[in-house]
Amino acid sequence: MGSRLEQKSTLVRKRIEGHTFDDEAGDEYEGSKFGGFPEYFRRKKIKLQNKDAQLRTQSGDKPNIFKGVVCHVNGYTQPSLNDLHTMIVQHGGGFLQYLDGKTMVTHIIASNLTPKKKEEFKRYRIVKPAWIVDSIAAGKLLPWDAYRVVDEGVGQKVLGFDNGNVITQANRKTQGYKEQTDTSWYTSQLKARDVQATSSSTARPRLTFTQTVTPSEEIEDDEYPLPEITSSIERAMEGLDGLDEDDDELPEPVERTEDAPGPEAKLETPPPTSPLPAPADKTLFLPEDAAIKATSPINTPTRQAFRKETVLSPGRAAAAIPPIESPARQETALQPRQGSQEPDYTMSIVKNSEALRSISPSRLANMTAEEHNALLLSDPKIRKSTVVHPDFLEQYYRESRLHHLSTWKADLKAQLQALAAEKSSSQKEKLKVKKLPGQRRYIMHVDFDSFFAAVSLKKHPEYVDKPAVVAHGSGSGSEIASCNYPARAFGVSNGMWMRRAQELCPELKILPYDFPGYEEASRKFYDAIMATGGVVQSVSIDEALVDISQICFAEAATDGVKRAEGGVDREQAVADGIAQKMRDEVLAKTGCAVSVGIGGNILLAKVALRKAKPAGQYQLRPEEVLDFIGKLEVKSLPGVAWSIGGRLEEIGCKLVKDIREMTKEKLINTLGPKTGEKLWDYARGIDRAEVGDQVVRKSVSAEVNWGVRFENQEQVDEFMHGLCGELHKRLTKEKVKGKQLTMKVMRRAGDAPRDPPKHLGHGKCDTYNKSVQLGVATNDKELIVKEAIAMMKSFNISPGELRGIGIQMQKLDTLKAGPDGADLASQRKLFFKRGQPSKPPAERADDTVPEDPIQDDVKTPQKAQRFVDANNRPSVPIPPIAPHTPSKKLLNTLGTQFVLPTQFDPSVLAELPEDIRSKLAKLVKPDSGMEAPPEPAKAAVAGPVKPVQPPSAIVGLPNQSQLDPSILEALPKDVRAEIMGFYNKSPGNRKRGEQALLPQSPRKARTLPTSKQPVKRKRGGGLFAGRARSNMRSGDSSTLTQANFVARPVSRHLQNDDVTTATDTEAEPAAANDTVDPEFLAALPEDVRREVLAQQRNVRLQRAGGIDLSLHQRPRAQRGKKKAAEDEVLLERVIVLPPRPSKPTFTSRKLTELPDLREAMKAWYKEFEDEAPYEEDVLALVKYLRGVVLDERDVGKAVAVLKWVEWLIDEGEARASAKSGWNMALQQMKHGVQSAAEERGLGRLDL
Amino acid sequence: MADGPATFTTLISAFTTFLTVAIHTILYERSIYPRTSFLSARKYNYAVRQSRHPKVCQWIADAVAAVESELLKGTVGRVAVVIFDQSEKPLERFMFDCSRLPVVPAGEWDTPLVRESKNGERTDILPLVDLEEQLRAAMAKLTVCGTLLRPVPENCSFTVAIELKDEGDAPIGHPQPWVPVSPGLQKSVDKDAERRSRTGEDVGGVKTTPLRNVEAGEMMFEMWIEEGKAKMRGPEKNRNVVELGEGWRSSASS
Repeated sequence: MGSRLEQKSTLVRKRIEGHTFDDEAGDEYEGSKFGGFPEYFRRKKIKLQNKDAQLRTQSGDKPNIFKGVVCHVNGYTQPSLNDLHTMIVQHGGGFLQYLDGKTMVTHIIASNLTPKKKEEFKRYRIVKPAWIVDSIAAGKLLPWDAYRVVDEGVGQKVLGFDNGNVITQANRKTQGYKEQTDTSWYTSQLKARDVQATSSSTARPRLTFTQTVTPSEEIEDDEYPLPEITSSIERAMEGLDGLDEDDDELPEPVERTEDAPGPEAKLETPPPTSPLPAPADKTLFLPEDAAIKATSPINTPTRQAFRKETVLSPGRAAAAIPPIESPARQETALQPRQGSQEPDYTMSIVKNSEALRSISPSRLANMTAEEHNALLLSDPKIRKSTVVHPDFLEQYYRESRLHHLSTWKADLKAQLQALAAEKSSSQKEKLKVKKLPGQRRYIMHVDFDSFFAAVSLKKHPEYVDKPAVVAHGSGSGSEIASCNYPARAFGVSNGMWMRRAQELCPELKILPYDFPGYEEASRKFYDAIMATGGVVQSVSIDEALVDISQICFAEAATDGVKRAEGGVDREQAVADGIAQKMRDEVLAKTGCAVSVGIGGNILLAKVALRKAKPAGQYQLRPEEVLDFIGKLEVKSLPGVAWSIGGRLEEIGCKLVKDIREMTKEKLINTLGPKTGEKLWDYARGIDRAEVGDQVVRKSVSAEVNWGVRFENQEQVDEFMHGLCGELHKRLTKEKVKGKQLTMKVMRRAGDAPRDPPKHLGHGKCDTYNKSVQLGVATNDKELIVKEAIAMMKSFNISPGELRGIGIQMQKLDTLKAGPDGADLASQRKLFFKRGQPSKPPAERADDTVPEDPIQDDVKTPQKAQRFVDANNRPSVPIPPIAPHTPSKKLLNTLGTQFVLPTQFDPSVLAELPEDIRSKLAKLVKPDSGMEAPPEPAKAAVAGPVKPVQPPSAIVGLPNQSQLDPSILEALPKDVRAEIMGFYNKSPGNRKRGEQALLPQSPRKARTLPTSKQPVKRKRGGGLFAGRARSNMRSGDSSTLTQANFVARPVSRHLQNDDVTTATDTEAEPAAANDTVDPEFLAALPEDVRREVLAQQRNVRLQRAGGIDLSLHQRPRAQRGKKKAAEDEVLLERVIVLPPRPSKPTFTSRKLTELPDLREAMKAWYKEFEDEAPYEEDVLALVKYLRGVVLDERDVGKAVAVLKWVEWLIDEGEARASAKSGWNMALQQMKHGVQSAAEERGLGRLDL
Repeated sequence: MADGPATFTTLISAFTTFLTVAIHTILYERSIYPRTSFLSARKYNYAVRQSRHPKVCQWIADAVAAVESELLKGTVGRVAVVIFDQSEKPLERFMFDCSRLPVVPAGEWDTPLVRESKNGERTDILPLVDLEEQLRAAMAKLTVCGTLLRPVPENCSFTVAIELKDEGDAPIGHPQPWVPVSPGLQKSVDKDAERRSRTGEDVGGVKTTPLRNVEAGEMMFEMWIEEGKAKMRGPEKNRNVVELGEGWRSSASS
């Protein structure tokens, strides 16, 4: 509603809320003067509000459901104006008797409006009186729009909410007074009076009902002390077998309450507010009560059962208790349970939960959702299977049957699709060209008959003729995946709950899934289809479409257009023949029957298939198409299910031929342009889809709605991270990015129990959806997480109420980038900028390497050597950079040093030309022999554990997620344990730097910190350090990694844990680098590749060996080692920057801050105001200011000081001589600062 | 800024975020684009302007991303936002001297950084509170530049340039996001030992207005504005820098 409406009514509401009434002393009670009608009227309104204020104060504890509502009543209503007034005011609303303007109130209550008023009030909230009555009965403010008086007109559909689903509904007809009289409030009151003859005379019995809830519980608790109370949990303990009992018991309580509704109801009736003649009632009821007590031994079982129902669901308690008083409603309360398809799950875990059991049901009912969850989660077993558990998501997707089925199906389908596409693409191209206008088509739709069941039955042939189903278990809650035809005869259908199915067919056989079998059958099925030579489109694993037109034409020697000489018949015969042959083949290969429908297009083929089933084939001939389709029900058309079917039925279409009578426009109006047109075509047997058309994926999503139980917001956020990670994974897998993120949240429905029937399931939920446009397509996890969490917050759902969360990415773009595309995330990205700061080094290497690795290497060393600017010199020598220019590479060639490259990636190796491979292989052997000497081994050590080490081997651990699981898998067990152990040890340790390079701080005049500085390493010298770097670089780029290629002696691991850890982990980054290596290497020209490899080798030689290191290198390596020992203390891997050099300071007081400086200047000037400043002082200041500009690099500060001095001089009242002295000093300072600025390359300062 | 210990990457991205905001602000303050095309936004708890033209935003984002990649390499001495007149003469250069940012080797970008003080204590390199204060102050200084400087003529354009440290190599290669700036703004150091150097005439400008020195943990950079000869019409000379300009001159004329 418009803000205008809100604005004014808010004022009125505030005024009303602020209105207080003390006594009749206000001026409104004075007499009014003659002619003072406005005054009189104003007073009248005040007095009316006084009345309301009084009413409000007397209303006691009635809930303020109408807070914020201001009402006015227009015309005749039931209940009357007076009653409505009282109701509204007592429940916290405001009421206006006189409406000065329509916007003064939030709602106008009316039963009917005159046409003129209808027009006038069209845009305001005109509500039926029932809204007030129903809201009070419901105890909360109901949405007013369900009680509209003025609707939007017949043509306008409205959105409605039903069980959390948005539905469109036709507008209700406006009803007039008649409706009121029938369903009148007074009428119902009268009826109620009849029914409850003994009921009290209070005007609002419903209110008293709700009030009785509490006393009734208390009474029960007193009567039946805790131990006896059976709770929902205990009920659950009875488990599966208990189910039957329950069924037996259920009717009983109902009966019982029907028998004796009186006593129970009366026991609780006296509501606090009702002025009942209590004594009389008491006497009346006591005997009955006593009777109950007396018979209680007999009654106990039923009572207990009864109570079970009452407390079954704490959340439902409120709803469940009123029924006690009115048996009719008890029925309805129980109804959903009895009739529901929801399985009664065993709750095997919940029932064992001590924590839950120890809590009394009434307490359970009073807990908040979070407390409840916390209690639930306090049981470790339960905790393990909820979202709170860190591995939940992984486990969820691993174990979720649905997920398994769908991914498995999707994978299989994708494979088969690829296969089919591959086989038929060439043909199709050919065929397409040849396609003539008006050509007949022959499409086969091939489908297994109850695929899962048929395949599973192969293992259990004894059940073939008996009703059998495939399901994951025999529990009553398992869902039927597939059932055979005998079972269908009993009415069992796919997707049915087992319990229901067993009711229909008690001797139902349940078969387990047989995934390998399905896969095999599916493969054979496709083989057979492919063998037909038609164009194949895979629909699912057991279903395919085949376009055999060309084959038919060829065999029948027709062109498919002319209808000469029985050509059509021949074609049809050929089609039938092909189908028959294929069916035979599939039957022979898989032992399962398939059905085939043949028609002139996909629609007709699908329709024909219906008739063909089971185990048959049917060709829908062109001449019978219209009749055949016309007789079908609309819902049997593909793509038409209950929702579209329902809408069609609304416009009077039951059979397909009814659709034909509709105009296209009408269909489009009803169903939307696409569906409408499609159906219009379908009804005439037209289907334009071509076999082989691919459906493009439109969204990627991840959803979890089982086991979702949170205790607090943090857990939600954390879970969102996980879920977004999953989505990210899927996006990456699909190679897409999305522009729109949709979140679906399931929240426990208000009346749903906290523990739904299915253990940790979501139960009855309200579903909320929200979308956000991301602007730029992304698959960046962080971004998604951010948006998702924000959206989640915006739902404002308390964590405990969450039952399911799903996120979905829509508006997908395909990812164009290469193998590292996954990392090319979000918007900032320029296409040319391949390096992402946060990317692991391995991937970074790849951004330079593909351009020209050699050049890259050349470049880097220069950088290091040229770090000369004193100002910027890092505190430590610059990171090592490869001295390997292409020319240098030739220096060390492979024959000379037999130290082995410690790391080979077998896949790289496989890519190499034969000769190189053999050389490399040769290298390997010497290596294994060399491992024994501790020296080289040590040299090869890398690691976070010992930060200072021979630079050659410094390797950081890659992020854990970067580890390639397959490599891990391939490692010896103990090594793997070590690696994992390391990750566990340092969870925060995420650096993936491979070189422990020294951080440099760009300041000069740095004192080198003595120890603990990884920095020191570089003291080894530029050259050496440079080597190390190049090692790493080239290592990255071509990834010769050691992996499982080299058999490492076990003894080595034992000997030196550190060593192995480091070397092993070394393999990881490289392995993770698949981005670069194999493809890259393979893509290089032969000679370049050789060069790269040679370089690689050299690098490794230097690193791994120590043996043939040239003389001058060796001592350095040792030095490095010594340092390593020194620095072993430093376990945590952080880069420690050395302290910054101190700022230049002024005077002995070490002033640096501007205010201090100003003070000092002021004092200085004051002191020497009458004489010029001393030269030394000026020089000192100039020197300092130069320091500020050059070292502290704060020109602004220097300028500020100068300006301050200038101001001091200007303001001061010094004599002329002194002033000129000061001015000269100032000039001197300015000059100093100016020159310093110039030295830094700045322009002239504006002084 | 991410949780956990600050790394070099977070440090640099904090800087580039500031740079992005600053560029938007400069564009607004110098009226490179119509002022009505800017939205008011809040950053560092300070009112800033943001262009709402998607292409402009995209350009800036791209440029800053390219700057970021160079910053990470640690070769950038200064970042300049240069405003040109129609004849491509630099009028104003907004300089960000970031040569005091730490330099971290490529492998350690995501390694937590700490600064060790003289007495061995380790301090956070990105004290968020200080940082925000400092950046807010810097932003405040920047927004008053509009009043400090003479207005620029119409149809100006702008670009983002970086000046490399003397030892830094030009980011040449393919693809090549950076192109050399006009000779007038270039300083080249000959790589030979003699160090002959050539200085572009426009380097340094003729008038420098210091803005602010930001100092929060490791986030240390200085900002000033240089006004060029073309604007002042007063010949003055200064010295040298190597500088490379962004690949595109933005199509900034409105």
